Amino acid sequence: MATASETTLVTAHNESATKWWTRFLDPSERTLALLLLLPTALLLSLIIVYPVCRLVWTSFQNLSLTSGAPATFAGLENYALMLEDPVFWETTWNTVLITLITVPGALLVGMALALMANLPFKRKWPVRLSLLIPWALPLAFAGLIFAWFFHSEYGVVNDVLRRLGFEGVIWFNSAKWAFAAICLTIIWKTSSFMALIILAGLQTIPRSLYEAAEVDGAGRLRQFFEITLPLLKPSIVVALIFRTITALQTFDIPFTMTRGGPGTSTATLAMYIHQNTVDFLDLGYGSALAVVMFALSMGVTAVYLRMIRAKG
Amino acid sequence: MTLNNTIKLLLAGAAITLSASAAMAQTNLRVFVSSQHRPDVWRKAFDMYEAKNPNVKVTIETGGNTSEAQAQYLNTVMTAKDSSLDVMILDVIRPAQYAAAGWTVPFNDVLGDAGAAMKRYLPAYAEANTVDGKVVALPAFADAMFLYYRKDLLEKHGIQPPQTWDELAAAAKKVAAAEKDANLQGLSFQGKAIEGAVCTFLLPYWSMGKQLVSDGKLSFDKDAAVKSLKLWKDFVDQGVAKKNIAEVATDDTRKEFQAGNVLFAVNWSYAWGQFQGAESAVKDKVGVVKLPAVQGGQPASCLGGWEWGVSAYSNNKTEAQKLVQYLSSPETSEFMAINASLLPQFPDVYTDADVTKAVPWFANARPVVETAKARPVTPRYNEVSDIIRTTVNAVLAGQSTPEEGATQMEGRLRRVLR
Repeated sequence: MATASETTLVTAHNESATKWWTRFLDPSERTLALLLLLPTALLLSLIIVYPVCRLVWTSFQNLSLTSGAPATFAGLENYALMLEDPVFWETTWNTVLITLITVPGALLVGMALALMANLPFKRKWPVRLSLLIPWALPLAFAGLIFAWFFHSEYGVVNDVLRRLGFEGVIWFNSAKWAFAAICLTIIWKTSSFMALIILAGLQTIPRSLYEAAEVDGAGRLRQFFEITLPLLKPSIVVALIFRTITALQTFDIPFTMTRGGPGTSTATLAMYIHQNTVDFLDLGYGSALAVVMFALSMGVTAVYLRMIRAKG
Repeated sequence: MTLNNTIKLLLAGAAITLSASAAMAQTNLRVFVSSQHRPDVWRKAFDMYEAKNPNVKVTIETGGNTSEAQAQYLNTVMTAKDSSLDVMILDVIRPAQYAAAGWTVPFNDVLGDAGAAMKRYLPAYAEANTVDGKVVALPAFADAMFLYYRKDLLEKHGIQPPQTWDELAAAAKKVAAAEKDANLQGLSFQGKAIEGAVCTFLLPYWSMGKQLVSDGKLSFDKDAAVKSLKLWKDFVDQGVAKKNIAEVATDDTRKEFQAGNVLFAVNWSYAWGQFQGAESAVKDKVGVVKLPAVQGGQPASCLGGWEWGVSAYSNNKTEAQKLVQYLSSPETSEFMAINASLLPQFPDVYTDADVTKAVPWFANARPVVETAKARPVTPRYNEVSDIIRTTVNAVLAGQSTPEEGATQMEGRLRRVLR
């Protein structure tokens, strides 16, 4: 009968005699994980990493399709031009302003909508449907619809205002009214998305907590702040992350509503990137702008991730 | 028959069928037509071509309803080297850029003597379509801006068509006071930030005798720029033009005039065909003259016109070139003049009997087209256009004063056109 030590000796000898690739035939969990991730990693590097690297590379070049000249290396010239470009600063500021207004705005409206949708309805589907429709509508459609709503002559908004006795506003003639119209549209469109996420979170809160609180004598408002809000925090953070990143990339709604007008007062950074690449065909400068937006989005994502990690 | 022989017979039959169908192979050409220039009438021209060339089938694609929106679409398709479009219609300001970007196929090989071929066209278009000796596109139609007016209203109040902008303002105020129609606009022009707004700015500027670019360098006259912006803003402030003129694009002007709500309109030649159409409220009530001049200046018009180009990424370049030569022929030009009121690119067609019968004012339009000024030719034209049109839009919206607008325009143009 073989002793334990003899068996170990035999096993060790056998392992060193096997080929290197046999470890893939019966892989350890770690190797298996690596192998399964490999196809996805390849796909992602093809559609994300490669274009981003190409983008950064183009941002260091002088490449304008209408000049007829081939690309030449320009170092940080595009970035230097960007810092002196007043339109860049204006569009970046517009983007930040839109983010600061529409993210909390959509959160508040979305929260209200979710709370209403959570009430016990006899038929749930009309409520869910009306919550879903703004989110399902393509952004460009929403922009065009609201552009007509806010048209100074043929629009519904001015019609209602006039019937109420006010004078109609020429919405797209002034920067601040055009901006307001755009923020309103964005809040309308995105609050349904926030509402859906928050509603999902609301439904995970057990009724027993509310019943217990009621027994203890807590009013509805107190219940909201002490039970609902704390338990909703994860959903809220998720909704905020999505909303903030897409707010930084706002393009469709201002583009279809005002094209950035009057002047450049409602143009966002994404619109300026689009203009430089698709309209002016200045790929070098457009790439530099896109790199800045990419860095901004990454920065915001990092901040949020840190916030989540801090919560444990 | 043995299996072997059966197979051989079947293969031979297949080969014969395939080669026969290849000989009768249909070429499918996809043409991008600007939606504001009567694609329905171009469709008839394509039908006539298909009748004469049974192995060619033409499909029309439209998208975007203003020049710069269409350009952005085409830019995207061409940058992606997409082969979906074979022929595309280009605004007169674009063939040079598209050639520089390598997106068009030159016509020199199929034209034979390119110089002689281009001489048949009006000189402005021969120039716009020839880059470094290569013919990069062929003219589709000519165009310039005109002043349309309500013949019936001017006759009713005993007013002659105005020769200066001041006369126009006076005429509009007189008619407005007499008609007391709240819906009647005195003057409609383009204040939206579209390509046409560049012409809006340049019309008075050129009328004062100034150039924007000379010898490839910026020759901006700030005084003239302020005066030009102020001219249009004054129309709004005095109530001659409507308050939200900054929302008005080319086809909006056309639609409002067609509905009978406008006394004077600044627009391109295509509008005439619409005004004389069955659905028009102003049929036979429309007069056309050349645009007014500023006080003490010369009348000036903006040169327009569109060109047919063949995509460098097309799979059917030869057939596409043949189609374009047909589209850019005197016969098609006459057809489009009669049926869509698109100005001819050939000098002789203006005085053709059938054309004069259908569009009587074309005979007088030829000198306007021949003296119309072209917008600045520069590889960075898209940026120049954006600067000018957003400034015009901002001034007309009341967002900037004419002085502020002119200052901004100068600064931004200097950075682009060093």
